[in-house]
Amino acid sequence: MLKVRQVSKVYEGKVSYRALSDINLTVEDSEFVGIMGPSGSGKTTLLNMIATIDEPTTGEILINGKDPNRLKKEKLAQFRRRELGFVFQDFNLLHTLTVEENMVLPLTLDGSKVSEMKKKAKEIAEKLGITEIMNKRTYEISGGQAQRAAVARAMIHTPKLLLADEPTGNLDSKSSKDVMEMLEAINEKEKTTMLLVTHDPQAASYCNRVVFIRDGKFYSEIHRGNNRQAFFQKIIDTLSLMGGDSNDFSSVRI
Amino acid sequence: MTFRQFAFNNVIRNKRLYAAYFLTSLFTVMVFFTFSIFASHPQLTGDNMDSYVSFGMNVAAGIIYVFSFFFVLYSMSSFLQSRKKEFGLLMIQGMSMKQIRSMVFLENMFIGLLATIGGIGLGLIFSKVILLIAENVLIIENELPFYFPTQPILLTFGCFIVLFFLISLFVSYILRSRKLIDLIKGDKKSKGEPKANLFLTILAVLLLGTGYAVALIVEGLQVIFAMIPVVIVVIIGTYLLFTQLSVSIIRRLKKKENVFWYKTNMILFSDLSFRMKDNARSFFLVAIISTVAFSAIGTLYGFQSYITAGIKQVNQTTISYQDYDTGNEQANVSYIAETLQGANIDMDKERVTLHYYELPDETLVLITKESDYNRIAGLSDNEIIQVEDGAPALMEPEMIFLNIGGDNSGQQEAEILKDAVLELDGGTVLEPVQLVSSNVLPSTTKYYVVSDQDFENFPEPAIEENYYAWQETEDSEIPLGIAEKLNDRLSTEGIRIGQYEEYVVNKAYGPILFVGLFIGIVFFVSSGSFLYFRLYSDLDEDKKKFQAITKMGLTEKELKKVLNRQTALLFFAPIFVALIHGAVALTALSNMFFYSLVKESAMVLGLFLAIQIVYFFIVRFYYIRQVKQALQ
Repeated sequence: MLKVRQVSKVYEGKVSYRALSDINLTVEDSEFVGIMGPSGSGKTTLLNMIATIDEPTTGEILINGKDPNRLKKEKLAQFRRRELGFVFQDFNLLHTLTVEENMVLPLTLDGSKVSEMKKKAKEIAEKLGITEIMNKRTYEISGGQAQRAAVARAMIHTPKLLLADEPTGNLDSKSSKDVMEMLEAINEKEKTTMLLVTHDPQAASYCNRVVFIRDGKFYSEIHRGNNRQAFFQKIIDTLSLMGGDSNDFSSVRI
Repeated sequence: MTFRQFAFNNVIRNKRLYAAYFLTSLFTVMVFFTFSIFASHPQLTGDNMDSYVSFGMNVAAGIIYVFSFFFVLYSMSSFLQSRKKEFGLLMIQGMSMKQIRSMVFLENMFIGLLATIGGIGLGLIFSKVILLIAENVLIIENELPFYFPTQPILLTFGCFIVLFFLISLFVSYILRSRKLIDLIKGDKKSKGEPKANLFLTILAVLLLGTGYAVALIVEGLQVIFAMIPVVIVVIIGTYLLFTQLSVSIIRRLKKKENVFWYKTNMILFSDLSFRMKDNARSFFLVAIISTVAFSAIGTLYGFQSYITAGIKQVNQTTISYQDYDTGNEQANVSYIAETLQGANIDMDKERVTLHYYELPDETLVLITKESDYNRIAGLSDNEIIQVEDGAPALMEPEMIFLNIGGDNSGQQEAEILKDAVLELDGGTVLEPVQLVSSNVLPSTTKYYVVSDQDFENFPEPAIEENYYAWQETEDSEIPLGIAEKLNDRLSTEGIRIGQYEEYVVNKAYGPILFVGLFIGIVFFVSSGSFLYFRLYSDLDEDKKKFQAITKMGLTEKELKKVLNRQTALLFFAPIFVALIHGAVALTALSNMFFYSLVKESAMVLGLFLAIQIVYFFIVRFYYIRQVKQALQ
């Protein structure tokens, strides 16, 4: 599904800065992969490059064997809205639109039929349990509902790859749990490949596999077994070994 | 770093942010300064101009000044709105409201000082251009040389330092203490979607409808009485149009999913109804200001063409002479001929005798031979007529000044001819068979042309007058000096020189036209700036919005399409309304004079539209570029 080969990113400027060096990552179809690392480790940079928002300085990124960065600008935008889905930390819902309108926005850009859009929106809203807020404005709903609406928007065109950047960053623990369980369910039922960047070990524990990067370099990788609780513990262990940041639990708890 | 240095550096190191406000102030100062250079030009003051003209100039300068005040105030307050967050940040650092006020005051004075000096400097550079334009618009014998305008410099400097001082005081008052959290989150708060009141929406339509209907129906003097109520009704109607009607239309469109959910429409319309709340006031202001500009310039231009056309109608030939019973007829005619010959001007000349017959009610009626009429008609390039024996023609003069002719809508041609049947003393009966509009002969009432044969049988006329006409052979004007010389000596004895009359009117009218144009253009340009500010106050929000949408996949083409429509709506909605208002106002004006101003109105309005289009393209180019840069 996704192949990241020897990717480096250098930000040029008065002080040039190497954000990533020689990252390799392979994600199989319908896999749910988490990327973790302390602040400034380059995880969002990596996600942005996979999302085709940014370009790697060296190396290449292949999605389904194709390098989207070779596409022309117009085609690239179409590629993004047809093949990829995005979930952001601050939801990025347009406050001037209702939840339903926000959900169908990617479809309207493609000029789909209204009846078809309605049908898809209804289906996905039922699946994600947001039917009753469809006609509400974004400022009339809670953060958890907003993020679910954002996931609905990302999923409405059944993308092959869903990219989530700190989707639980602005949510309380209950809403975080709801959103992550929802993503897990989508991954299992729809077989959508997912890539999650997060700080939150709780959120990361829903993944099949978590990749750790530190200071722009690959650090380690752990796989989830059958038990999510045990996986959560393993994630915390790794973070404490990395000497992670203050967000993390202290290693005394091991 | 002292506090003053802080305020100073704030401006200097943040040029981009302050640029728009600075440029507006600069422009305002420049306009005022160039106008005062013109108004206090030594050639125009003193003996060279009437005192009423210089009074008019001073009034105009006053209007520009008052307008500048509100314009600068408006741009300053919209500039401060965009800095809420910065003030919030400074307050977190422990700055008191008083200190913020004094910072804004210092900044504003600093910008004001720079703008005043810069505006005067730029004005000096452009003053020659203004003087050249003025020279051409005004008819002044001497040219307007460049001079070093000490007095205007002092005047402008003084006026604007006071202006900026007052505005600085005023603005620091505007910054009422708000809650810190409101300042910091100022840009994140949703203002809620504006709702339209059904009653007010209908009222908007009714007010505009009745205003327009009344303006278009009234004629003549009624226009003057109807003017003020119509203006008030239309102003209120316009306000409601933007605040209510537009909102309700957008909301209606949004409910139509076929439209709203179609491609980029969703992105475009969603913000439109939200921004309408802020836009409505600017739109209203711009529409009214532009209407004033259009109407003022259209009126001045239309009035000039009305007068010119009137003079041309009365003067079909270059020079005419109809003796006023002075007894000097021979001497005067030979004086004209000698003067023309002396100046080496070659002209065709004709002489006809005008025969007036007395009617029973003691009015005089003019009856002319076909050959006489055709000689003058041929000379003045008018159509020659064919008159059969016993079938005279009724000539109807068209005089827009006297509101004669041109409009026979009330009466059929047959009826007019029937009414015009005439019986002369000797029992001769004239039954005209054709009606021709013509200004060939100098008559303000209808007159008759009969065949030469018929004329032989007519009785003796009551009065006979000679009418002399000269027509230039090539399309060259007679020199002004000659015209003036002839006019000075013979104007009371019966000479008429159309070109000279036009010159006299234009000379008196020139300053008014120039001042009107100047103020009109100032209004128009500043209304463009209002729109520019309006657009740029949404820039940050647009950047954020498009950043979000681009990540989901928005092609550059689609981005451009949305921004293009957004900018176009902003730029053309108010101007479109102003154009319609202006067109209606000018139509009412032409109804007042019974003179069609279609050509003049179309020219003025078309010109403004063209300028607005150019302005739109420039602003759109920069706006799209800015948004695109934010997406990199």
